[in-house]
Amino acid sequence: MKALAELYTQQFKTTLAMMFQYRAALVIWMIGQVLEPLVYLIVWSIVSKNSGGSIGSYTTSDFAAYFIVLMLVNQFTYTWIMYEFEYRVREGILSFALLKPVHPIHSDIADNASSKLITLPTMILIAAGLALGFHVSISPAPWAVAVFIPVLLLAFLVRFLLEWTLAQAAFWTTRVSAINQTYFVLMLFLSGQMAPLTLLPHPVQVAAAILPFRWMIGFPVELLLGRLTLTQALTGLGAQVAWLLLGFVLLRLVWRAGVRNYSAVGA
Amino acid sequence: MDTRKRAPVVAGEPTVTSPVVHIKDLRKVYVVSQQEAGAKAVLQDLVHRRKLEIPAVDGISFDLATGEIVGFLGPNGAGKTTTLKMLSGLLHPSAGEVTVLGYIPWKRDKSFLRQITLVMGQRNQLVWDIPAISSFELNRAIYRVPPVDYRRTLDELTDLLELGPLLHKPVRNLSLGERMKCEIAAALLHRPTVVFLDEPTIGLDVTMQRRIRNFIAEYNRRFGATILLTSHYMADVVALCRRVVIIHHGRLLFDGDLSDLVQKFTEYKTIVLQVGDCQADLRSYGEVESCGDGRFTLRVPKAKTAQVTARLLKDLPVIDLLVEDPPIEEVIERVFAQENP
Amino acid sequence: MNYLRLLAAFFWVSVISELAYRVNFVWQLVQSFLSLGVSLAGLAVIFSYTETLGGWRPDEILALVGVYFFVGGLIGLVVQPAMEQFIESVRDGTLDFTLTKPEDAQLTTSIKRIEIWKLIDIVLGLAVLVIALIRLGENVGAWQAGAFVLMLTAGGVIVYSFFLILATLSFWLVRVENILMIFQSMYEAGRWPISLYPGWLRYGLTFIIPVAFATTVPAEALTGRLTWQTLLVAVVLAILLFAASRAFWRVGLRRYSGASA
Repeated sequence: MKALAELYTQQFKTTLAMMFQYRAALVIWMIGQVLEPLVYLIVWSIVSKNSGGSIGSYTTSDFAAYFIVLMLVNQFTYTWIMYEFEYRVREGILSFALLKPVHPIHSDIADNASSKLITLPTMILIAAGLALGFHVSISPAPWAVAVFIPVLLLAFLVRFLLEWTLAQAAFWTTRVSAINQTYFVLMLFLSGQMAPLTLLPHPVQVAAAILPFRWMIGFPVELLLGRLTLTQALTGLGAQVAWLLLGFVLLRLVWRAGVRNYSAVGA
Repeated sequence: MDTRKRAPVVAGEPTVTSPVVHIKDLRKVYVVSQQEAGAKAVLQDLVHRRKLEIPAVDGISFDLATGEIVGFLGPNGAGKTTTLKMLSGLLHPSAGEVTVLGYIPWKRDKSFLRQITLVMGQRNQLVWDIPAISSFELNRAIYRVPPVDYRRTLDELTDLLELGPLLHKPVRNLSLGERMKCEIAAALLHRPTVVFLDEPTIGLDVTMQRRIRNFIAEYNRRFGATILLTSHYMADVVALCRRVVIIHHGRLLFDGDLSDLVQKFTEYKTIVLQVGDCQADLRSYGEVESCGDGRFTLRVPKAKTAQVTARLLKDLPVIDLLVEDPPIEEVIERVFAQENP
Repeated sequence: MNYLRLLAAFFWVSVISELAYRVNFVWQLVQSFLSLGVSLAGLAVIFSYTETLGGWRPDEILALVGVYFFVGGLIGLVVQPAMEQFIESVRDGTLDFTLTKPEDAQLTTSIKRIEIWKLIDIVLGLAVLVIALIRLGENVGAWQAGAFVLMLTAGGVIVYSFFLILATLSFWLVRVENILMIFQSMYEAGRWPISLYPGWLRYGLTFIIPVAFATTVPAEALTGRLTWQTLLVAVVLAILLFAASRAFWRVGLRRYSGASA
């Protein structure tokens, strides 16, 4: 495993250098990352004020807290691997990954984690600023905070594994951007990014519980906001673990099939 | 080593003399969809795709022994790159046998991958925006090269390829030739014993081509690596390879020494004749290819060379006479042309 | 006119090359519908909890969504792909090919590449717009319709000029590949009337990244909210920005030709 640690360290240095090169694009991207939850925050605040200060179990201030925490959780779990894969197949450099004696997922995890080490501190600052500006405060129970850490890590892993698996679509079709967009559109609705899931119609909530999106984003947010009971938290944790295992199995299957297909069709 | 993914060793055959690369009746067939122009055809295609089977490699066989540098020649689309991809595990053959170092390439055994390398001209594995040395470090980690070996290999490669000033510049800022040198270095950091080079000098200027050629020869000499090299440029092949394998339309046309190639495929010799001026009509002696300043170039059937030479010497005031084989390029072109009647 | 013939030629090439990817065709349809569907579903959820949003009624927001998709489709159809390709061509030197052709360089560049699938978004946007208009029926008079078309045009010109300015920066700055993304990111905020947003955001979305002129202002015209001031500002800004961007472009072009001489 020492070799793997070495690989991750090297990848971190590479990612660091690249991010520095692309700092302008990075800033633009982060603006987008802040803007989306911010827009929903504003819209829902207005709706809440129109309805006498609260909707469901969310007061106007609760909405602000929700979307600010959402912003951070989204940032922590975010991946761009699907676009990366499409790029690799298109440029014909996926072959290089197949020539190497390590599974390409390691570089990708390392790259993802490394870039977050850099962007997260800034996002946390922005979140703190927004929290001050909108006068929000959260008071989760100590156990919720403790459970939040593993939940957040699981959320990241589940999201990464599933999106990495989805990225394999690049093996079969050269234009995966449509699939990507479909995925993100579904995620918007079913993960809690557009609105707290408890405010959506019941059938949607059921769908959200069955699909993995909630467990990637909405669930950690609700946990940290102190909105879940211990039972609910543990059930959620179980769902995350289940999706992690499923994700792992799917990944191996799809990867193997993908490589087989790629090596049949050629690069 | 992982024995599951190795090819079975034939009983009685000592492994030390078994070929490093073994190919037998190798086939690769591509299935592509047919597309025609015109609006109607395009819309029809949307509903029903017509498929076409194209054999890129159509039953080839050859072996490589340890330490050989072999040239793999053929025009575009002949099947060279496809073969190389099958050898490095990127492509799954449609039929036939292929083993490299005893491994079956498409199984992509990790210990197999650590001993080979594939360099593709014009395709970059180096990370674009950072200095080459950073990509080297990444490769070191991926191939698990011990630090001492890495240092030594890097020093030797830097020396042989003159990489000194290039290492710390972002790859994006390097010229094409400089980038190619770094790509080659990156591919060799783990000291592979089998090296596949797919058009490594393509697009480079003559000086750089020569440098890389020298490097390849030196690498082979120093480390005894087995090298299979494809190229368009005869100069590459002539300079580096004693043995060539020629492929065209997915089939092998020739496999042997370069000198034999000339013998086998040429029916002509060239006579270069120096006389006073270009006035003389030499058409009765042979095909006059050119004349400049009294220097004639004649093409003569091989069998008649001695006879024509004797006649020329007797009939004309010859200042100088030279009998040559036609240039390799011409020979090979003719070899390809034979496939297209 | 030659321009139209050129446009048609580029259009046809795009169609052929895109139809080669069958899977993409189906997926683009699905994706466009899905995107619109989620947008409308989101609206449905919001309006299940309130009657109006910042003074806008549901059908008025629906009209805004229609404009959002329509304009977004237009930008994605011609403006963005052309500017992206232009930036690339500066970087890899293929701009030289364009410059040696007899057509006006800005014109050719602006229609060079077409993202044919955005037609779906345009059609969907129009459909939603029409439905919203029907529902708003008695509230839309000839005046408003006229103002709407004028504001759409002004908005289109403003956005195009904005993109051109950004793209022209590539003559000076080497690393601008993703600069166009900034509009993309901010455009998301155009789904909602910008009057909802706090002052600083409103300002940014109007005068720094002109999203407001692309979506909210035309929608305001349609729903009778447009003030004379806004209309005037839009028209004047459109004219000024178009002239400024073209001038900027020429400066950049001169520099490019001079530099590579």
